[in-house]
Amino acid sequence: MKPLQGLRVIDLTQAMAAPFCTMNLADMGADVIKVEAPGEGESMRQLGRAQKNGHSGTFMTMNRNKRSLSVDLKQPEGVEILRRLAKTADVFVQNYRPGVAERLGVGYEALRAVNPRLVYCAISGFGQTGPYAKRGGYDLIAQGMSGVMSVTGEEGGQPAKSGVPLADLSAGLFGAYGILCALEHRDRTGEGQLVDTSLLEAAMALTVWESAEYWLTGKAPKPVGSAHRLGAPYQALRASDGYFTVGAQSDRMFTAFCEAAGIALHKDERFATRAGRMQNRPALIEAIEQRTRGDTRAAWLARLEKAGVPAGPINDYAEALADPHALARGMVVDLVHPGAGDIKALGVPVKLSATPGAVERAAPLLGQHSDEILKELCYAESEVAALRAKGVIQ
Amino acid sequence: MVPAMALDGLRVVDQTQVMAGPFCSMLLADMGAEVIKVEPVEGEHTRQERSIAPGVSMSFLAVNRNKRGMALDLKQPGGVEILKRLAASADVLVENYRPGVARRLGISYDDLKVINPRLVYCSVSGFGQTGPYASRGGFDLIAQGMSGIMSATGSEGGPPVKVGVPITDLGAGLFAVFGILCALRARRTTGLGQLVDTSLFEAGLALSAWEATEYWYTGDVPKRLGSAHRLNAPYQAFRASDGHFTVGAANQKLWGIFAGVVGLAHLTEDPRFKSPGNRLANRAELEKLVEAATVRETRAHWLAKLEAAGIPAGPIYSVAEALADPQAQARGMTQEYDFPGAGRVRTLGNPVKLSRSPARLRKPPPRLGEDNEALLGELGFSAQEIRAFRERKVIP
Repeated sequence: MKPLQGLRVIDLTQAMAAPFCTMNLADMGADVIKVEAPGEGESMRQLGRAQKNGHSGTFMTMNRNKRSLSVDLKQPEGVEILRRLAKTADVFVQNYRPGVAERLGVGYEALRAVNPRLVYCAISGFGQTGPYAKRGGYDLIAQGMSGVMSVTGEEGGQPAKSGVPLADLSAGLFGAYGILCALEHRDRTGEGQLVDTSLLEAAMALTVWESAEYWLTGKAPKPVGSAHRLGAPYQALRASDGYFTVGAQSDRMFTAFCEAAGIALHKDERFATRAGRMQNRPALIEAIEQRTRGDTRAAWLARLEKAGVPAGPINDYAEALADPHALARGMVVDLVHPGAGDIKALGVPVKLSATPGAVERAAPLLGQHSDEILKELCYAESEVAALRAKGVIQ
Repeated sequence: MVPAMALDGLRVVDQTQVMAGPFCSMLLADMGAEVIKVEPVEGEHTRQERSIAPGVSMSFLAVNRNKRGMALDLKQPGGVEILKRLAASADVLVENYRPGVARRLGISYDDLKVINPRLVYCSVSGFGQTGPYASRGGFDLIAQGMSGIMSATGSEGGPPVKVGVPITDLGAGLFAVFGILCALRARRTTGLGQLVDTSLFEAGLALSAWEATEYWYTGDVPKRLGSAHRLNAPYQAFRASDGHFTVGAANQKLWGIFAGVVGLAHLTEDPRFKSPGNRLANRAELEKLVEAATVRETRAHWLAKLEAAGIPAGPIYSVAEALADPQAQARGMTQEYDFPGAGRVRTLGNPVKLSRSPARLRKPPPRLGEDNEALLGELGFSAQEIRAFRERKVIP
């Protein structure tokens, strides 16, 4: 058994944030039905650079474990199918620009009338309310407007964003959290509700430390490269053949680090306290790197592991995805896709001991499950054939 | 009438410190769970980090609102006894010790499931409870480096940089809260709790879905791209006369409109920039041509034009500007409360808006051991027992 078994989710989402939300629900066993227009389907099915045998890698990544129902919502019979589906569903997720779902007849109020128990989640660039509600928003825009870009990179350097789309992905995660909270409420009271979050708010919610810093000092925090705002040494350090990371900001860890490195900086009064190390960080790092540059990354990592000092390599993705610990934790999964053949996918990052989630099915082909879903909704075979002939379903 | 809260009635024992774990339990507290923060008798060490009043700091306040507070010495049997009684009354326990520490203290999942089989026990660690690196200490920096995130962040050729916000800490907190809520749903069917085990390293990998896709499907190892997108262009920061702004004109339609707005409509017919693949392959040239046009006017000029044309675009705000922005204000992203001895304190709003049972700021973060008396009473300890605990310094 999986934890969300029996939960039915209608997924009217595109691109990244919202598909990632429903993917996480699907990984945990929810029956996620991806609803796409006939013909081309979701925009991510279009082929870019990442593809295999004519199937889009980005689509396959975000839509595993889901079923596909291809239905034309511009025809009244299509909207009727969706309304029937909504009657049987627990959750509905969409990420249109605010106003679009209403125009299509699948807004919150329209579906609530069909199923008052439905938890309806809308993930947008800026949220359903406020002055920018109607604007389109991408991860980049949200990273820029949330302050995340202003604290990423080197001071005075070119603008840099988080290399991974953190506003998209965290909006998806906050969406999943909101949905599961709303389901708790529904199970107690019988009533569904609207769950409304956005890329901008998700990215802002990740500035916990930086907003606290600003409110405390009155100064907006600046980018600090790889370093920490409040502790040192906690950053990338230079070895003879590249960089590695070390987190030895506490007094205890700093002492352990100095002893392992064979340097007596912890006895230097400039560096003996946490505050002193922060105040004299440039001098501290220079003194440390004088030593660390004399040996390889591998030598340092072995030495620091033995001393129990948190440290690690700066892996590229070829290394990260082949790392023995990543593999031991099931973070790389092999799947077979009906068109693309053997593909790889990331595993489930949160492990439940009794009812674990799993990555079992590759992303569906467009309309792969249309027939079986319509049958579940009690459409007769002749009706299904008629709908197909009219181009309502594919 | 104050609306109901989504997680009303849920009791959470919060045995966490610093960031990932406290962020997880704070998200539960925001939605109405009764979260009891358990600290050592001297207090969590972040209380001392940049403190604003005795025993309270911004670092602590930032991730501990809406929680109750208990202080216990878990190195004494009395402390463990209290914690066990608390766990017996709870639905969820969250801890973020290094793997092995909870077992040594006698409060591991195996210890507690015996007294409360319905308990959902969540462990957040650097690398997870199993696997070759399980016992290593892990910080956000280490996890950002090992998961690949640092290799994709910053500018090519520059020194290593990490994502400026602690993304693997916060991501692990989010995956933990997701796992806990999933386990609670499973409990409705099975009647049993379970262990929820996640880590900073795994959160970092899970947030690399795009980069893993690029690597697996193209064979190219993702590079550092500054502000640009791995699979689309133009989607990046451009220079105006007074600084940078962001533009996402990633699809064919938006590219056409964008090119017109910046006076480069002819580029849409240029074979170098015609298709998304062309633009990606010739991104550096495209950037030069676009910036030659955008540096002539201010950010405000371009943002007004792009908004009118319906092109996603925006400023690159400092954290101060972000918090003051009218949209952030309209969405309640800044909240305020009074903290005894420290005056008015500000905190971020919850980013998820529920229409019927919304998140709410109910109480400031606890003072050290603020609820000890009340909680010990609720757990059935007598006044005499409480006095004895105090004498033995099991509680402050």
